[in-house]
Amino acid sequence: MKTWKIVLLTVVALGIIAALLVYFLVYNKPHPDYATMDPDMELPAEQLYRDFVNDEQRAHERYNGKVLQVQGQLAEVEQVDDMVILSFVFEEGMFGGEGVRCTMLESYKEEALSLAAGTHVTVKGFCTGFTGSDVILEHSSIP
Amino acid sequence: MLRKTLLVFVLGVLMTPVLFAQVYLTRNGTIRFFSEASLENIEATNRQVSSALNIENGEFVFRLPMRSFAFEKALMQEHFNDNFVESHKYPNASFEGEIHGFREADLLSGEEVEVMVEGELTIKDVTKGITERGTLRMEDGDILGSAVFVIKPEEYNIRIPTRYVRNIASEIEVFVDVRLSDKL
Repeated sequence: MKTWKIVLLTVVALGIIAALLVYFLVYNKPHPDYATMDPDMELPAEQLYRDFVNDEQRAHERYNGKVLQVQGQLAEVEQVDDMVILSFVFEEGMFGGEGVRCTMLESYKEEALSLAAGTHVTVKGFCTGFTGSDVILEHSSIP
Repeated sequence: MLRKTLLVFVLGVLMTPVLFAQVYLTRNGTIRFFSEASLENIEATNRQVSSALNIENGEFVFRLPMRSFAFEKALMQEHFNDNFVESHKYPNASFEGEIHGFREADLLSGEEVEVMVEGELTIKDVTKGITERGTLRMEDGDILGSAVFVIKPEEYNIRIPTRYVRNIASEIEVFVDVRLSDKL
């Protein structure tokens, strides 16, 4: 085979490999596996809630977009459609008990549903913000 | 800004001189948006929408954490939060307004009622008045509310870089679906 053909085939092959890598590793990269991620911070659920209530802007800067591991006394296990939510409650407000609400990952729903209110639990989740009444942790797991 | 929005959100409902039972609430309403562009369609869903409807005077509010929008592709979700809506700077979106064109008696009949939703939508640092059609229906004591808004990203200070103009539509449909209950 002539040299120019070998060079051309090599360039084409490298181009295809590069395109596949970009497609699978960048464009189609998977969502983070929140259950196996190390938490950015560990703190009591009540401290997380109070920080948002006392200074929402500062709390957003500190916690929003971070994986947090919180501990506290479970107030409620709730099922809303296909979502399972563990709630830590610290105040009564317009929406009833207000605090930290953790929406569980699919693989932790069964374990979450087996928990009883009043149990001291640790939950790890991705903080997406504050609704005005509750701090939201999504993709939550029980470490 | 955030404090003001929160204050209006809470007080707007609490200070309304009606019985608490006439305010219907949810913490897990759904807002979904759909962008249809030449290169791809993009859809994202947010199921952390807090919302309240006063059925006596029609006052309606919702608030949602922007980072709760879930996309099929992780890369799109990153671009949405980091580059387009800047969730780190503007963590919430909200709506404050009224629903016109229904009476409590209409709802109690169980039939779907066509309504007008009118108010101010805040995304990022921009608040704009909107008026759109919606529906209300009562089911098992809850009120099911739906509305569709069409928004233009540029009007809310969402700048789409030139390289993405074929990926993201200039008009985006926003679907609001809430199941509001008087007992949370």
